[in-house]
Amino acid sequence: MVRLIRAELRKLLGLPTAWIGLVLGTLTAPVIVLLNAPYTRRAIAAGTLTDPSDLGMRDLGVGLIGPIILGVIVVSSEYTSTGPDTPGARQLTATLVAVPDRLRLLVAKTTALVLVVAVQATVTTAATLTLTQVLHGIHAPAPAPARVAAAILYWTLTALLAYAITLITRNGIVPLTLLIINSSVVSVSYLLTKVTDLASYLPDIAGAQMFIGTAGFPVEIAPVTAGMVMTAWVVALLGLGAVLFQRRDV
Amino acid sequence: MAITSTLITTVTTGTALDRAVGRGWAFTSLTLALRPGSDGPWTDSVVRIRERSDVRGPKQLLTQFMITIENVSKIKSRTQILYDVSFEARPGRVTGFLGPNGAGKTSALRILLGLDRPQSGTALIRGRPYRKLDRPLTTVGALLDGSGAHRARTARAHLRWVAASNGLPNSRADEVLEVVGLTGDARKRAGRFSLGMSRRLGLATALLGDPAVLVLDEPVNGLDPAGIRWMREFLKNSAAQGRTVLVSSHLMGELAEIADDVIVINKGRVVIHGRLADVTGGHRTLEDAFFALTAAEAGSPW
Repeated sequence: MVRLIRAELRKLLGLPTAWIGLVLGTLTAPVIVLLNAPYTRRAIAAGTLTDPSDLGMRDLGVGLIGPIILGVIVVSSEYTSTGPDTPGARQLTATLVAVPDRLRLLVAKTTALVLVVAVQATVTTAATLTLTQVLHGIHAPAPAPARVAAAILYWTLTALLAYAITLITRNGIVPLTLLIINSSVVSVSYLLTKVTDLASYLPDIAGAQMFIGTAGFPVEIAPVTAGMVMTAWVVALLGLGAVLFQRRDV
Repeated sequence: MAITSTLITTVTTGTALDRAVGRGWAFTSLTLALRPGSDGPWTDSVVRIRERSDVRGPKQLLTQFMITIENVSKIKSRTQILYDVSFEARPGRVTGFLGPNGAGKTSALRILLGLDRPQSGTALIRGRPYRKLDRPLTTVGALLDGSGAHRARTARAHLRWVAASNGLPNSRADEVLEVVGLTGDARKRAGRFSLGMSRRLGLATALLGDPAVLVLDEPVNGLDPAGIRWMREFLKNSAAQGRTVLVSSHLMGELAEIADDVIVINKGRVVIHGRLADVTGGHRTLEDAFFALTAAEAGSPW
Protein backbone atom coordinates (compact mmCIF):
# COMPACT_ATOMS: atom_id res chain seq x y z
CA MET A 1 0.00 0.00 0.00
CA VAL A 2 2.82 2.40 0.87
CA ARG A 3 4.30 1.91 -2.59
CA LEU A 4 0.95 2.73 -4.21
CA ILE A 5 0.58 5.89 -2.13
CA ARG A 6 4.12 6.90 -3.02
CA ALA A 7 3.37 6.38 -6.71
CA GLU A 8 0.17 8.44 -6.45
CA LEU A 9 2.00 11.26 -4.65
CA ARG A 10 4.64 11.28 -7.35
CA LYS A 11 1.95 11.31 -10.01
CA LEU A 12 0.04 14.19 -8.43
CA LEU A 13 3.07 16.34 -7.70
CA GLY A 14 4.42 15.71 -11.20
CA LEU A 15 1.55 17.66 -12.76
CA PRO A 16 2.09 21.38 -13.43
CA THR A 17 -1.60 22.03 -12.70
CA ALA A 18 -1.14 20.55 -9.23
CA TRP A 19 1.48 23.18 -8.50
CA ILE A 20 -0.90 25.92 -9.65
CA GLY A 21 -3.35 24.55 -7.09
CA LEU A 22 -0.68 24.30 -4.42
CA VAL A 23 0.68 27.82 -4.92
CA LEU A 24 -2.71 29.50 -5.39
CA GLY A 25 -4.23 27.70 -2.44
CA THR A 26 -1.35 28.41 -0.13
CA LEU A 27 -0.82 32.08 -0.98
CA THR A 28 -4.30 33.45 -1.68
CA ALA A 29 -5.57 33.68 1.89
CA PRO A 30 -2.43 35.33 3.39
CA VAL A 31 -2.28 37.79 0.48
CA ILE A 32 -5.94 38.73 0.98
CA VAL A 33 -5.27 39.36 4.67
CA LEU A 34 -2.44 41.71 3.66
CA LEU A 35 -4.49 43.54 1.03
CA ASN A 36 -7.50 43.88 3.32
CA ALA A 37 -5.42 45.15 6.25
CA PRO A 38 -6.24 48.89 5.86
CA TYR A 39 -9.95 48.15 5.43
CA THR A 40 -9.96 45.78 8.40
CA ARG A 41 -8.22 48.41 10.61
CA ARG A 42 -10.91 50.96 9.74
CA ALA A 43 -13.65 48.43 10.42
CA ILE A 44 -12.13 47.64 13.82
CA ALA A 45 -11.85 51.35 14.63
CA ALA A 46 -15.45 51.97 13.57
CA GLY A 47 -16.62 48.94 15.52
CA THR A 48 -18.52 47.50 12.52
CA LEU A 49 -16.83 44.11 12.65
CA THR A 50 -19.41 41.49 13.58
CA ASP A 51 -17.11 38.94 15.15
CA PRO A 52 -13.42 39.79 15.59
CA SER A 53 -12.62 36.17 16.42
CA ASP A 54 -13.44 35.34 12.78
CA LEU A 55 -10.66 37.61 11.56
CA GLY A 56 -8.31 35.58 9.39
CA MET A 57 -10.61 32.56 9.56
CA ARG A 58 -13.04 34.09 7.06
CA ASP A 59 -10.20 34.87 4.65
CA LEU A 60 -9.31 31.18 4.50
CA GLY A 61 -12.36 30.60 2.30
CA VAL A 62 -10.86 32.20 -0.81
CA GLY A 63 -7.88 29.85 -0.65
CA LEU A 64 -10.20 26.89 -1.20
CA ILE A 65 -9.49 27.19 -4.91
CA GLY A 66 -6.30 25.25 -4.10
CA PRO A 67 -7.83 22.07 -2.64
CA ILE A 68 -10.58 22.22 -5.28
CA ILE A 69 -8.03 22.20 -8.11
CA LEU A 70 -6.05 19.42 -6.43
CA GLY A 71 -9.12 17.29 -5.76
CA VAL A 72 -10.35 17.62 -9.33
CA ILE A 73 -7.08 16.99 -11.15
CA VAL A 74 -6.19 13.90 -9.15
CA VAL A 75 -9.01 12.27 -11.11
CA SER A 76 -9.36 14.40 -14.26
CA SER A 77 -5.70 13.94 -15.19
CA GLU A 78 -6.45 10.23 -15.54
CA TYR A 79 -9.21 10.91 -18.05
CA THR A 80 -7.69 13.61 -20.27
CA SER A 81 -6.66 12.43 -23.73
CA THR A 82 -2.94 11.78 -23.98
CA GLY A 83 -2.62 13.34 -27.41
CA PRO A 84 -4.26 14.26 -30.71
CA ASP A 85 -2.87 11.14 -32.44
CA THR A 86 -4.76 8.86 -30.09
CA PRO A 87 -7.88 10.69 -28.91
CA GLY A 88 -9.18 7.70 -26.97
CA ALA A 89 -5.97 7.04 -25.04
CA ARG A 90 -5.79 8.16 -21.43
CA GLN A 91 -3.43 7.84 -18.52
CA LEU A 92 -6.05 5.75 -16.73
CA THR A 93 -5.18 2.79 -18.96
CA ALA A 94 -1.56 2.91 -17.77
CA THR A 95 -2.75 3.37 -14.19
CA LEU A 96 -5.06 0.36 -14.20
CA VAL A 97 -2.59 -1.86 -16.03
CA ALA A 98 -0.08 -1.03 -13.28
CA VAL A 99 -2.62 -1.24 -10.43
CA PRO A 100 -5.57 -3.39 -11.51
CA ASP A 101 -7.12 -3.59 -8.04
CA ARG A 102 -9.35 -0.53 -8.33
CA LEU A 103 -10.32 -0.31 -4.69
CA ARG A 104 -6.68 -0.28 -3.57
CA LEU A 105 -5.94 2.29 -6.25
CA LEU A 106 -8.71 4.57 -4.94
CA VAL A 107 -7.53 4.19 -1.35
CA ALA A 108 -3.99 5.16 -2.43
CA LYS A 109 -5.25 8.11 -4.46
CA THR A 110 -7.45 9.36 -1.64
CA THR A 111 -4.62 9.06 0.87
CA ALA A 112 -2.20 10.94 -1.38
CA LEU A 113 -4.73 13.75 -1.87
CA VAL A 114 -5.49 13.99 1.85
CA LEU A 115 -1.78 14.15 2.71
CA VAL A 116 -1.05 16.92 0.21
CA VAL A 117 -4.10 19.02 1.09
CA ALA A 118 -3.67 18.60 4.84
CA VAL A 119 -0.10 19.87 4.62
CA GLN A 120 -1.17 22.74 2.39
CA ALA A 121 -4.07 23.66 4.69
CA THR A 122 -1.81 23.58 7.74
CA VAL A 123 0.75 25.85 6.11
CA THR A 124 -1.76 28.38 4.79
CA THR A 125 -3.84 28.42 7.99
CA ALA A 126 -0.73 29.02 10.07
CA ALA A 127 0.43 31.78 7.70
CA THR A 128 -2.98 33.46 7.56
CA LEU A 129 -3.54 33.42 11.32
CA THR A 130 0.00 34.55 12.13
CA LEU A 131 -0.33 37.41 9.68
CA THR A 132 -3.66 38.40 11.23
CA GLN A 133 -2.06 38.40 14.67
CA VAL A 134 0.84 40.55 13.47
CA LEU A 135 -1.42 43.04 11.67
CA HIS A 136 -4.35 43.32 14.02
CA GLY A 137 -2.82 42.06 17.25
CA ILE A 138 -4.97 42.79 20.27
CA HIS A 139 -8.20 43.11 18.28
CA ALA A 140 -7.98 39.58 16.94
CA PRO A 141 -7.99 37.02 19.74
CA ALA A 142 -5.99 33.93 18.82
CA PRO A 143 -8.48 31.26 17.71
CA ALA A 144 -8.87 28.09 19.74
CA PRO A 145 -6.82 25.10 18.48
CA ALA A 146 -10.05 23.22 17.80
CA ARG A 147 -11.17 25.91 15.34
CA VAL A 148 -7.82 25.80 13.56
CA ALA A 149 -8.07 22.02 13.29
CA ALA A 150 -11.63 22.40 12.00
CA ALA A 151 -10.43 24.82 9.29
CA ILE A 152 -7.83 22.28 8.13
CA LEU A 153 -10.49 19.58 8.15
CA TYR A 154 -12.78 21.81 6.07
CA TRP A 155 -10.08 22.24 3.45
CA THR A 156 -9.41 18.51 3.31
CA LEU A 157 -13.10 17.65 3.05
CA THR A 158 -13.53 20.26 0.28
CA ALA A 159 -10.72 18.59 -1.70
CA LEU A 160 -12.37 15.20 -1.16
CA LEU A 161 -15.72 16.61 -2.28
CA ALA A 162 -14.17 17.89 -5.54
CA TYR A 163 -12.43 14.53 -5.95
CA ALA A 164 -15.62 12.53 -5.41
CA ILE A 165 -17.64 14.64 -7.86
CA THR A 166 -14.94 14.28 -10.53
CA LEU A 167 -14.88 10.54 -9.95
CA ILE A 168 -18.56 10.54 -10.86
CA THR A 169 -18.36 12.97 -13.81
CA ARG A 170 -15.01 11.64 -15.15
CA ASN A 171 -14.32 15.12 -16.44
CA GLY A 172 -12.71 18.01 -14.61
CA ILE A 173 -14.40 20.95 -16.28
CA VAL A 174 -17.86 20.68 -14.73
CA PRO A 175 -16.78 20.23 -11.09
CA LEU A 176 -13.96 22.76 -11.39
CA THR A 177 -16.23 25.48 -12.80
CA LEU A 178 -19.05 24.73 -10.42
CA LEU A 179 -16.92 24.59 -7.28
CA ILE A 180 -14.65 27.52 -8.05
CA ILE A 181 -17.53 29.84 -8.93
CA ASN A 182 -19.38 28.67 -5.84
CA SER A 183 -16.41 29.25 -3.56
CA SER A 184 -15.18 32.57 -4.96
CA VAL A 185 -17.45 34.48 -7.35
CA VAL A 186 -21.06 33.84 -6.43
CA SER A 187 -21.95 31.35 -3.75
CA VAL A 188 -24.89 29.58 -5.32
CA SER A 189 -25.26 27.53 -2.14
CA TYR A 190 -25.54 30.73 -0.10
CA LEU A 191 -28.16 32.17 -2.46
CA LEU A 192 -30.11 28.93 -2.12
CA THR A 193 -30.22 29.34 1.65
CA LYS A 194 -32.33 32.46 0.99
CA VAL A 195 -34.82 30.25 -0.83
CA THR A 196 -34.94 27.25 1.44
CA ASP A 197 -33.50 26.43 4.84
CA LEU A 198 -32.61 22.99 3.54
CA ALA A 199 -29.76 24.59 1.59
CA SER A 200 -28.06 25.24 4.91
CA TYR A 201 -27.22 21.56 4.91
CA LEU A 202 -25.30 21.75 1.63
CA PRO A 203 -21.71 20.64 2.28
CA ASP A 204 -19.98 24.00 1.84
CA ILE A 205 -22.48 26.00 3.92
CA ALA A 206 -22.66 23.47 6.73
CA GLY A 207 -18.93 22.75 6.64
CA ALA A 208 -17.92 26.40 7.03
CA GLN A 209 -19.73 26.49 10.38
CA MET A 210 -17.16 24.08 11.75
CA PHE A 211 -14.79 27.01 12.21
CA ILE A 212 -16.58 30.28 11.39
CA GLY A 213 -18.92 31.91 13.88
CA THR A 214 -22.51 31.00 13.12
CA ALA A 215 -23.71 34.60 12.89
CA GLY A 216 -24.98 35.33 9.37
CA PHE A 217 -26.09 31.79 8.61
CA PRO A 218 -29.86 31.30 8.29
CA VAL A 219 -29.76 28.01 10.19
CA GLU A 220 -27.18 27.78 12.93
CA ILE A 221 -25.44 24.45 13.05
CA ALA A 222 -23.12 23.53 15.91
CA PRO A 223 -19.48 22.94 14.81
CA VAL A 224 -19.46 19.19 15.48
CA THR A 225 -22.81 18.68 13.74
CA ALA A 226 -21.53 20.82 10.85
CA GLY A 227 -18.49 18.59 10.54
CA MET A 228 -20.68 15.50 10.54
CA VAL A 229 -22.99 16.94 7.87
CA MET A 230 -20.07 17.71 5.56
CA THR A 231 -18.40 14.37 6.22
CA ALA A 232 -21.68 12.60 5.40
CA TRP A 233 -21.80 14.39 2.03
CA VAL A 234 -18.22 13.43 1.27
CA VAL A 235 -18.72 9.80 2.30
CA ALA A 236 -21.91 9.49 0.24
CA LEU A 237 -20.43 11.01 -2.92
CA LEU A 238 -17.16 9.14 -2.52
CA GLY A 239 -19.07 5.89 -2.06
CA LEU A 240 -21.06 6.49 -5.22
CA GLY A 241 -17.92 7.47 -7.11
CA ALA A 242 -16.09 4.36 -5.91
CA VAL A 243 -18.92 2.02 -6.92
CA LEU A 244 -19.06 3.58 -10.40
CA PHE A 245 -15.28 3.45 -10.74
CA GLN A 246 -15.26 -0.20 -9.75
CA ARG A 247 -17.96 -1.15 -12.25
CA ARG A 248 -17.17 0.96 -15.27
CA ASP A 249 -15.22 -0.20 -18.29
CA VAL A 250 -12.27 2.06 -18.84
CA MET B 1 55.27 -17.66 -42.42
CA ALA B 2 56.02 -15.10 -39.78
CA ILE B 3 53.48 -12.40 -39.27
CA THR B 4 55.14 -9.18 -38.32
CA SER B 5 52.79 -6.27 -38.55
CA THR B 6 49.21 -7.41 -38.27
CA LEU B 7 47.12 -8.18 -35.25
CA ILE B 8 43.87 -9.89 -36.00
CA THR B 9 41.57 -11.09 -33.29
CA THR B 10 38.17 -12.67 -33.29
CA VAL B 11 36.20 -12.34 -30.13
CA THR B 12 32.96 -14.08 -29.37
CA THR B 13 30.66 -12.34 -26.93
CA GLY B 14 27.24 -13.15 -25.66
CA THR B 15 24.94 -13.40 -22.72
CA ALA B 16 23.47 -16.33 -20.93
CA LEU B 17 20.45 -16.34 -18.74
CA ASP B 18 19.11 -18.73 -16.17
CA ARG B 19 15.55 -17.69 -15.64
CA ALA B 20 14.92 -20.30 -13.01
CA VAL B 21 17.26 -18.50 -10.64
CA GLY B 22 16.93 -15.07 -12.21
CA ARG B 23 20.64 -14.61 -12.95
CA GLY B 24 22.38 -13.53 -16.10
CA TRP B 25 25.98 -13.67 -17.32
CA ALA B 26 28.00 -12.03 -20.04
CA PHE B 27 30.88 -13.91 -21.59
CA THR B 28 33.71 -13.02 -23.90
CA SER B 29 36.00 -15.53 -25.48
CA LEU B 30 39.02 -14.76 -27.60
CA THR B 31 38.84 -17.46 -30.21
CA LEU B 32 41.40 -16.57 -32.82
CA ALA B 33 44.36 -14.26 -32.89
CA LEU B 34 47.07 -13.51 -35.38
CA ARG B 35 49.87 -11.81 -33.55
CA PRO B 36 52.95 -10.07 -34.85
CA GLY B 37 55.88 -12.36 -34.59
CA SER B 38 53.83 -15.51 -34.25
CA ASP B 39 53.83 -18.39 -36.67
CA GLY B 40 50.15 -18.32 -37.43
CA PRO B 41 46.71 -18.35 -35.89
CA TRP B 42 46.64 -18.87 -32.21
CA THR B 43 43.62 -19.81 -30.23
CA ASP B 44 42.91 -18.63 -26.75
CA SER B 45 40.97 -21.02 -24.65
CA VAL B 46 40.16 -18.54 -21.91
CA VAL B 47 36.52 -17.61 -21.61
CA ARG B 48 35.86 -14.60 -19.46
CA ILE B 49 32.55 -14.61 -17.64
CA ARG B 50 31.06 -11.93 -15.45
CA GLU B 51 27.66 -11.80 -13.90
CA ARG B 52 25.42 -9.05 -15.24
CA SER B 53 22.90 -7.44 -13.00
CA ASP B 54 21.04 -5.95 -15.97
CA VAL B 55 20.23 -9.34 -17.41
CA ARG B 56 17.56 -10.36 -14.97
CA GLY B 57 14.99 -12.92 -15.68
CA PRO B 58 11.70 -13.53 -13.97
CA LYS B 59 12.27 -16.02 -11.23
CA GLN B 60 9.39 -18.27 -12.17
CA LEU B 61 9.59 -20.86 -14.89
CA LEU B 62 8.34 -19.26 -18.06
CA THR B 63 6.48 -22.33 -19.21
CA GLN B 64 3.71 -21.55 -16.78
CA PHE B 65 2.88 -18.21 -18.33
CA MET B 66 0.12 -19.15 -20.66
CA ILE B 67 -2.70 -16.85 -21.67
CA THR B 68 -6.07 -18.57 -21.70
CA ILE B 69 -9.23 -16.90 -22.92
CA GLU B 70 -12.36 -19.00 -22.62
CA ASN B 71 -15.85 -18.33 -23.95
CA VAL B 72 -15.62 -14.57 -23.62
CA SER B 73 -18.65 -12.58 -24.75
CA LYS B 74 -18.95 -8.83 -24.53
CA ILE B 75 -21.78 -6.42 -25.17
CA LYS B 76 -20.93 -2.74 -25.39
CA SER B 77 -23.56 -0.04 -25.93
CA ARG B 78 -26.18 -2.73 -26.70
CA THR B 79 -24.03 -4.18 -29.49
CA GLN B 80 -22.42 -7.57 -29.11
CA ILE B 81 -18.77 -7.16 -30.03
CA LEU B 82 -17.39 -10.54 -28.91
CA TYR B 83 -19.13 -13.90 -29.32
CA ASP B 84 -17.84 -16.78 -27.23
CA VAL B 85 -14.20 -16.04 -27.96
CA SER B 86 -11.69 -18.69 -26.89
CA PHE B 87 -7.99 -18.98 -27.58
CA GLU B 88 -4.65 -19.31 -25.89
CA ALA B 89 -1.14 -17.99 -26.27
CA ARG B 90 1.81 -20.15 -25.27
CA PRO B 91 5.23 -19.37 -23.86
CA GLY B 92 8.12 -19.23 -26.28
CA ARG B 93 5.90 -18.41 -29.23
CA VAL B 94 4.67 -15.30 -30.96
CA THR B 95 0.89 -15.53 -31.17
CA GLY B 96 -0.57 -13.24 -33.81
CA PHE B 97 -4.08 -11.96 -33.16
CA LEU B 98 -5.32 -11.04 -36.58
CA GLY B 99 -8.43 -9.35 -37.83
CA PRO B 100 -9.75 -6.30 -39.65
CA ASN B 101 -10.44 -3.01 -37.85
CA GLY B 102 -13.39 -3.36 -35.52
CA ALA B 103 -13.20 -7.16 -35.38
CA GLY B 104 -12.85 -7.13 -31.59
CA LYS B 105 -9.07 -7.49 -31.14
CA THR B 106 -8.66 -4.52 -28.83
CA SER B 107 -11.82 -5.41 -26.89
CA ALA B 108 -10.52 -8.91 -26.23
CA LEU B 109 -7.12 -7.59 -25.10
CA ARG B 110 -8.75 -5.01 -22.81
CA ILE B 111 -10.76 -7.79 -21.18
CA LEU B 112 -7.58 -9.83 -20.78
CA LEU B 113 -5.96 -6.87 -19.00
CA GLY B 114 -8.90 -6.35 -16.66
CA LEU B 115 -9.76 -2.94 -18.12
CA ASP B 116 -13.16 -4.02 -19.40
CA ARG B 117 -15.45 -6.64 -17.98
CA PRO B 118 -16.92 -9.40 -20.16
CA GLN B 119 -20.59 -10.42 -19.88
CA SER B 120 -19.42 -14.00 -19.62
CA GLY B 121 -16.28 -16.07 -19.92
CA THR B 122 -12.82 -15.88 -18.37
CA ALA B 123 -9.50 -14.40 -19.37
CA LEU B 124 -6.55 -15.77 -17.42
CA ILE B 125 -2.82 -15.27 -17.33
CA ARG B 126 -0.99 -18.14 -15.67
CA GLY B 127 -4.34 -19.32 -14.40
CA ARG B 128 -5.28 -16.04 -12.73
CA PRO B 129 -7.36 -13.06 -13.82
CA TYR B 130 -5.24 -9.95 -14.41
CA ARG B 131 -6.97 -8.06 -11.61
CA LYS B 132 -5.71 -10.63 -9.10
CA LEU B 133 -2.05 -10.27 -10.04
CA ASP B 134 0.23 -8.69 -7.47
CA ARG B 135 2.73 -6.22 -8.98
CA PRO B 136 1.32 -7.15 -12.42
CA LEU B 137 4.03 -5.36 -14.39
CA THR B 138 6.55 -7.96 -13.26
CA THR B 139 4.42 -10.60 -15.01
CA VAL B 140 2.74 -8.83 -17.91
CA GLY B 141 3.85 -5.97 -20.14
CA ALA B 142 1.01 -4.35 -22.07
CA LEU B 143 0.97 -1.88 -24.92
CA LEU B 144 -2.37 -0.34 -25.83
CA ASP B 145 -3.42 2.81 -27.67
CA GLY B 146 -1.01 5.72 -27.14
CA SER B 147 1.74 5.94 -24.55
CA GLY B 148 -0.46 6.15 -21.46
CA ALA B 149 1.57 9.14 -20.29
CA HIS B 150 -0.15 12.37 -19.28
CA ARG B 151 0.72 15.11 -21.77
CA ALA B 152 2.37 17.33 -19.17
CA ARG B 153 4.67 14.61 -17.85
CA THR B 154 8.15 13.91 -19.11
CA ALA B 155 8.89 10.42 -20.39
CA ARG B 156 11.12 9.76 -17.39
CA ALA B 157 8.60 11.07 -14.85
CA HIS B 158 5.91 8.85 -16.37
CA LEU B 159 8.09 5.76 -16.22
CA ARG B 160 9.14 6.52 -12.67
CA TRP B 161 5.66 6.66 -11.22
CA VAL B 162 4.72 3.48 -13.04
CA ALA B 163 7.86 1.82 -11.68
CA ALA B 164 7.10 3.04 -8.16
CA SER B 165 3.58 1.62 -8.30
CA ASN B 166 5.04 -1.84 -8.84
CA GLY B 167 7.94 -1.54 -6.44
CA LEU B 168 10.53 -1.26 -9.20
CA PRO B 169 13.59 0.98 -8.77
CA ASN B 170 13.84 4.40 -10.44
CA SER B 171 16.82 3.18 -12.44
CA ARG B 172 14.53 0.95 -14.51
CA ALA B 173 13.11 4.08 -16.18
CA ASP B 174 16.39 4.97 -17.84
CA GLU B 175 17.13 1.34 -18.65
CA VAL B 176 13.91 0.87 -20.62
CA LEU B 177 14.27 4.27 -22.29
CA GLU B 178 17.59 3.04 -23.60
CA VAL B 179 16.05 -0.21 -24.85
CA VAL B 180 13.51 1.67 -26.98
CA GLY B 181 15.98 4.34 -28.05
CA LEU B 182 14.43 7.29 -26.22
CA THR B 183 17.31 8.14 -23.90
CA GLY B 184 17.73 11.55 -25.53
CA ASP B 185 14.04 12.36 -25.04
CA ALA B 186 13.81 11.40 -21.37
CA ARG B 187 13.15 14.99 -20.29
CA LYS B 188 10.70 15.77 -23.08
CA ARG B 189 7.00 16.06 -22.23
CA ALA B 190 4.89 13.19 -23.56
CA GLY B 191 2.48 15.67 -25.20
CA ARG B 192 5.22 16.70 -27.60
CA PHE B 193 6.03 13.16 -28.71
CA SER B 194 5.31 12.00 -32.25
CA LEU B 195 3.08 8.98 -32.77
CA GLY B 196 6.10 6.71 -33.20
CA MET B 197 7.79 8.06 -30.07
CA SER B 198 4.57 7.60 -28.08
CA ARG B 199 4.44 3.97 -29.14
CA ARG B 200 8.02 3.49 -28.06
CA LEU B 201 7.31 5.13 -24.70
CA GLY B 202 4.33 2.80 -24.34
CA LEU B 203 6.59 -0.16 -25.05
CA ALA B 204 9.15 1.12 -22.56
CA THR B 205 6.38 1.19 -19.94
CA ALA B 206 5.49 -2.40 -20.81
CA LEU B 207 9.10 -3.51 -20.34
CA LEU B 208 9.62 -1.89 -16.92
CA GLY B 209 9.01 -5.06 -14.94
CA ASP B 210 10.92 -7.39 -17.32
CA PRO B 211 7.68 -9.35 -17.83
CA ALA B 212 7.36 -12.95 -18.96
CA VAL B 213 4.20 -12.10 -20.90
CA LEU B 214 3.83 -9.38 -23.54
CA VAL B 215 0.41 -8.23 -24.72
CA LEU B 216 0.78 -5.72 -27.52
CA ASP B 217 -2.07 -4.11 -29.44
CA GLU B 218 -1.05 -3.06 -32.95
CA PRO B 219 2.57 -2.44 -31.90
CA VAL B 220 3.85 -1.39 -35.33
CA ASN B 221 1.20 1.30 -35.83
CA GLY B 222 2.92 4.65 -36.28
CA LEU B 223 6.43 3.20 -36.42
CA ASP B 224 8.77 4.05 -39.26
CA PRO B 225 10.33 1.24 -41.34
CA ALA B 226 13.35 1.04 -39.06
CA GLY B 227 11.05 0.90 -36.03
CA ILE B 228 8.95 -1.86 -37.61
CA ARG B 229 12.06 -3.88 -38.31
CA TRP B 230 13.27 -3.35 -34.76
CA MET B 231 9.88 -4.40 -33.35
CA ARG B 232 9.89 -7.57 -35.47
CA GLU B 233 13.28 -8.59 -34.10
CA PHE B 234 12.25 -7.62 -30.60
CA LEU B 235 9.13 -9.80 -30.69
CA LYS B 236 11.01 -12.78 -32.13
CA ASN B 237 13.76 -12.44 -29.55
CA SER B 238 11.28 -12.14 -26.71
CA ALA B 239 9.63 -15.38 -27.75
CA ALA B 240 13.03 -17.02 -28.22
CA GLN B 241 13.81 -16.10 -24.61
CA GLY B 242 10.77 -18.07 -23.60
CA ARG B 243 8.29 -15.23 -23.17
CA THR B 244 4.65 -15.45 -24.11
CA VAL B 245 4.05 -12.88 -26.85
CA LEU B 246 0.49 -12.01 -27.88
CA VAL B 247 0.43 -9.37 -30.58
CA SER B 248 -2.58 -8.03 -32.44
CA SER B 249 -2.47 -6.55 -35.91
CA HIS B 250 -4.61 -5.89 -38.94
CA LEU B 251 -1.51 -6.17 -41.11
CA MET B 252 -1.45 -9.74 -42.32
CA GLY B 253 1.88 -9.54 -44.11
CA GLU B 254 3.47 -8.20 -40.96
CA LEU B 255 2.15 -11.00 -38.77
CA ALA B 256 3.02 -13.70 -41.29
CA GLU B 257 6.65 -12.62 -40.86
CA ILE B 258 6.82 -13.19 -37.13
CA ALA B 259 3.94 -15.28 -35.81
CA ASP B 260 4.29 -18.91 -34.79
CA ASP B 261 0.60 -19.25 -34.03
CA VAL B 262 -2.28 -17.27 -35.47
CA ILE B 263 -5.76 -16.47 -34.25
CA VAL B 264 -8.05 -14.95 -36.84
CA ILE B 265 -10.99 -12.96 -35.52
CA ASN B 266 -13.73 -11.40 -37.61
CA LYS B 267 -16.89 -9.62 -36.49
CA GLY B 268 -16.35 -10.70 -32.90
CA ARG B 269 -15.87 -14.41 -33.62
CA VAL B 270 -12.70 -16.47 -33.75
CA VAL B 271 -12.63 -17.85 -37.30
CA ILE B 272 -9.58 -20.06 -36.98
CA HIS B 273 -6.83 -20.68 -34.46
CA GLY B 274 -3.66 -22.68 -34.95
CA ARG B 275 -0.09 -22.77 -36.14
CA LEU B 276 0.75 -20.30 -38.89
CA ALA B 277 1.38 -23.05 -41.44
CA ASP B 278 -1.91 -24.77 -40.62
CA VAL B 279 -3.90 -21.56 -40.81
CA THR B 280 -2.32 -20.58 -44.12
CA GLY B 281 -3.03 -24.15 -45.25
CA GLY B 282 -3.22 -24.56 -48.99
CA HIS B 283 -3.30 -20.83 -49.60
CA ARG B 284 -0.39 -18.90 -51.00
CA THR B 285 -0.23 -16.38 -48.16
CA LEU B 286 -1.85 -15.71 -44.81
CA GLU B 287 -3.70 -12.87 -46.50
CA ASP B 288 -5.24 -15.21 -49.07
CA ALA B 289 -6.20 -17.59 -46.29
CA PHE B 290 -7.76 -14.77 -44.31
CA PHE B 291 -9.95 -13.62 -47.17
CA ALA B 292 -10.91 -17.18 -48.00
CA LEU B 293 -11.92 -17.77 -44.37
CA THR B 294 -13.97 -14.61 -44.15
CA ALA B 295 -15.24 -14.60 -47.73
CA ALA B 296 -18.70 -15.86 -46.89
CA GLU B 297 -19.60 -12.55 -45.26
CA ALA B 298 -17.39 -10.32 -47.34
CA GLY B 299 -19.09 -7.89 -49.64
CA SER B 300 -17.67 -4.51 -50.27
CA PRO B 301 -14.24 -4.07 -48.63
CA TRP B 302 -15.60 -1.11 -46.65
